[in-house]
Amino acid sequence: MLQALLLGCIAFIGKCDLATGTNLIQRPIVLGPLVGLVLGDLKLGVEVGAALELAFLGQYSVGAFIPPNVIVGGVLGTAFAITTGGGAEIAFTMAFPIALLAQAIDNVLFSVVRPMMGTLADKFAAKGNVKAITMIHMGTGFITCTVLFLITFFGFWLGSSQMQAIVDAIPAVVTSGLTIACGILPAMGFAMLARMIMNKKVAPFFFLGFLLSSYFRVPVVGIAFLGVIAALIKIDFTSNNQVTVQGGMDDEDF
Amino acid sequence: MKTSNQPIKENGVITKKDLKTMFWRSLPMEFSWHYERQMHMGFCTMVSQGLKKIYKDDEEGLKEALQRNLEFFNITAHVSPFVGGITLAMEEMNAQQDDFDTSSINAVKAALMGPLSGIGDSLLLGTLRILAVGIGASLSATGNILGPILFLLIFNVPAFALRYLCAMKGYKLGANYLEKIQSSGLMEKFMFAAGILGTMVIGGMTNELVSVTTLLQIGSGESATLIQGVLDGILPGMLSLVVMGIYYYLMNKKVNVMWLLIGTAILGIVCAQFGILG
Repeated sequence: MLQALLLGCIAFIGKCDLATGTNLIQRPIVLGPLVGLVLGDLKLGVEVGAALELAFLGQYSVGAFIPPNVIVGGVLGTAFAITTGGGAEIAFTMAFPIALLAQAIDNVLFSVVRPMMGTLADKFAAKGNVKAITMIHMGTGFITCTVLFLITFFGFWLGSSQMQAIVDAIPAVVTSGLTIACGILPAMGFAMLARMIMNKKVAPFFFLGFLLSSYFRVPVVGIAFLGVIAALIKIDFTSNNQVTVQGGMDDEDF
Repeated sequence: MKTSNQPIKENGVITKKDLKTMFWRSLPMEFSWHYERQMHMGFCTMVSQGLKKIYKDDEEGLKEALQRNLEFFNITAHVSPFVGGITLAMEEMNAQQDDFDTSSINAVKAALMGPLSGIGDSLLLGTLRILAVGIGASLSATGNILGPILFLLIFNVPAFALRYLCAMKGYKLGANYLEKIQSSGLMEKFMFAAGILGTMVIGGMTNELVSVTTLLQIGSGESATLIQGVLDGILPGMLSLVVMGIYYYLMNKKVNVMWLLIGTAILGIVCAQFGILG
């Protein structure tokens, strides 16, 4: 009961990410360790959080895309991974359905409740009431925080005792299959991101980054630094011309 | 040397202190996001204190300005104060000039959303966040508590610095100067550079963080050759690249992400059953 309350609070704090500068405290890699702390296994919480972070890498709200709710999914997934002793695979099998459920609830809030709050704000704007607009804005956010608190609380309170039985019933081939899937899934996140920012002009740099990592084992930070240099070589920032394409890196392309 | 309580512009009212207020009020930008007008309440909350000052003696002006700034707004949250600053500069002009075209305020806001989100999303969410995940997750994977801490620091130190810079610079640059940047092609160059950096990092990550290993072998018993060994000899991480390519292709074909997730899970189970992958 106390643990369920505390986990609910973690979900509440996680959602406050968006009240404090979109600082990514809502991500599983951050909330996982907090869950671990509450359930008495910090190390496992850190590990499961990292695994869920990679699995949910592409599930990030960009533009008007609302992803499955990683807060509720991440907190409950990590919690059940610890209470059942199942590790990262269990976390993912639990986290994804739960995240989808929470996403459905999110969508109700985002398409019905919050626009109504918006029209309320319009009324106060017509009266010149600055304070009320701020209050409505913050209140709208905290309503969602409270909803996430409730889902997480009830999810853990109702589910934790029965989860062990469910986990035991899962055949070994499914678990090891999902481990394989967990290894592959980050590729989906990268494909999503690539689709967002990649175009024909920068596509060779994807392979440059890949080859630097696969053949030369350059860590990602090193690749980022090389990326800055590649951009400086490729783009002439000093002249006033439009983007010019030069062939400086072509010998590295496939 | 100006103090923070003196107006920045000679005939203006906005001070450095007001811009700092705007910075703090920009933090919950996404808190009340919704489908219809998205970040509109966040934006209005951000600029409302500045508006109150600009329209101190003009109640009707304040009402109109508040309603005007409750229109649709959506942007990478971290660069939002930049638009807020430009908006305040324009609102200030409106308060001083009788013939100011107020519709230009929302037009400028709308024009800025796209390009600034393009830079912001690829720089912060596409590049910096992925960098933070890469470093944070590789530490966290071994149970190291430094993982999440580094993750937050790597993302937030530059993100908050950028937000503060945006809050300070937006007002000063004003609407005119931004037009200059856009027409000089510098905006496009900057987006191109961000694209290069982002794609290179994604390429590196694809090799480092995706793990696909095949258990298949040619022949049997002592003389068996592991196919994975052959593949590694040609190009290490080849299977990761192939998998990423398949996802990329399927997403271009508009295959629903849900199906891809379910398909991946099923593929994993099938490959485990027959010992194809491990």
